[in-house]
Amino acid sequence: MSSRDQVTKSARTYDGVVLCCPVTEPYVRRSEHGAAWFLARALRRLIDASGVARHAIDGLCVSSFTLLPDTAVAFTQQVGLSPRVLEWLPMGGACGIVALRRAARAVQAGDAEVVACIAGDTANDRSFRDLLAGFSTFSRDAVYPYGAGGPNASFALIADAYMRATGATREDFGKLAVAQRTNARRNPLALLRGELTLADYLAARPIAEPHHLFDCVMPCAGADGFLVMTETRARTLGLKFVRVLGAIERHNAFPDDPVALRGGWAMDRDALWSQAGIGPKDVQLVQTYDDYPVISMLQFEGLGFCDAGAGPAFVRRHDFTVDGSFPHNTGGGQLSMGQAGAAGGYLGLVEAMRQLLGDATERQVANARHALVSGFGMINYDRGLCSAAAVLGRA
Amino acid sequence: MIKLQRCADCGAAQYPPREFCGACLSDRAAWETADSLPGQVLACTTLHHSNEPAFRPRLPLKVGLVHLDAGPVLICFVMRAAAGDAVNVRVGPDDLLEAIG
Repeated sequence: MSSRDQVTKSARTYDGVVLCCPVTEPYVRRSEHGAAWFLARALRRLIDASGVARHAIDGLCVSSFTLLPDTAVAFTQQVGLSPRVLEWLPMGGACGIVALRRAARAVQAGDAEVVACIAGDTANDRSFRDLLAGFSTFSRDAVYPYGAGGPNASFALIADAYMRATGATREDFGKLAVAQRTNARRNPLALLRGELTLADYLAARPIAEPHHLFDCVMPCAGADGFLVMTETRARTLGLKFVRVLGAIERHNAFPDDPVALRGGWAMDRDALWSQAGIGPKDVQLVQTYDDYPVISMLQFEGLGFCDAGAGPAFVRRHDFTVDGSFPHNTGGGQLSMGQAGAAGGYLGLVEAMRQLLGDATERQVANARHALVSGFGMINYDRGLCSAAAVLGRA
Repeated sequence: MIKLQRCADCGAAQYPPREFCGACLSDRAAWETADSLPGQVLACTTLHHSNEPAFRPRLPLKVGLVHLDAGPVLICFVMRAAAGDAVNVRVGPDDLLEAIG
């Protein structure tokens, strides 16, 4: 391959662009507020945390399910922003990393100077069912009529196939869920902080077999956000920041796989690690998109932490708690923090930022220099369509 | 009768249905009918919870992922079959697809 080919294939780095001010509007099980309230709270927190004037925010990335019929466009009028870059990113569990990528490129190109990235949703008795029933045309026509199990059922089919293909057991899934609860007990932002043992996990009621209660995230309300700007601007503002060493996304990967035993990461992970200049062994913590433990295992495989199909052996070999051999979902992940809709696509990112900024308080991973964050979103029919990942570095 | 879309231009079968061929983007996605369609169960789940109250009296419900011999993968109710089994997919009394081993 000529050097010219390599130049056209590898994307520019994210040098000079940084991430600042991870914020969270605390999650709650249910809320009477609308999604815009949660998003506005996150925006306010970004302004308060950064000292950036509201009019200086000239880029905005927004993700939400329950903001509809409004989008990022309506939200600008609601909160009085006049951005010159505006992104509406309905990509579920991948939306945080995709927002990071869009915002970083806008800042590098000079299209915007300070980009606020926010995601959030409300939750009430009707919102979740409405979301599932109208999630997509394929889902509405060809999934929901078959028992209306929602993502629990769709991912149960993948989990069943994965267990059959790899020998993964409920104990393997449970080990991840229990480790995340252990981590959550050190995170005041986590909604689920009661002790969870492997025996509790195994004894839980079935939801969509092989998934039982503690395999499934709890829908809730909340919002997360962060700012993207140049390193120079962050220094001028006196803000601590995190570097973006590499980032990838891929949509509708491997469409010919009959059952989705891999996400899209395998297509781009070499580019990710190459761009980052480090490898899987060089990160001190990993945040996966954990709507179900089996999906975390697909990410370990897809991102090169272990071979394809070797997820179970990898899980049996490691300790996934904050102080363990492979610190994973160090704030508790969605399984213990709750899934605040689209904010689930930000949760791993803001947690990784807090770890690299040294702001993770009693759950701080020692010597955290590099973090891998991955996202996975949008089960349009039989699989999640959006895969994304980022490698972040301490400044 | 069960209906499956097949492209009149490239011959690809597809499911879920759409107004064009997802393989070649032809707009001649035509309907083929059959009494049932053969396939293999790739995976199964047993639902103990449903988001729709109307399904709740029928729980637990067995749902599967079936790889049709014709190519597409579909989600349907599974009556008497397990993962790995060869099945026939037909339209059940409620107009929904079901796999019979």
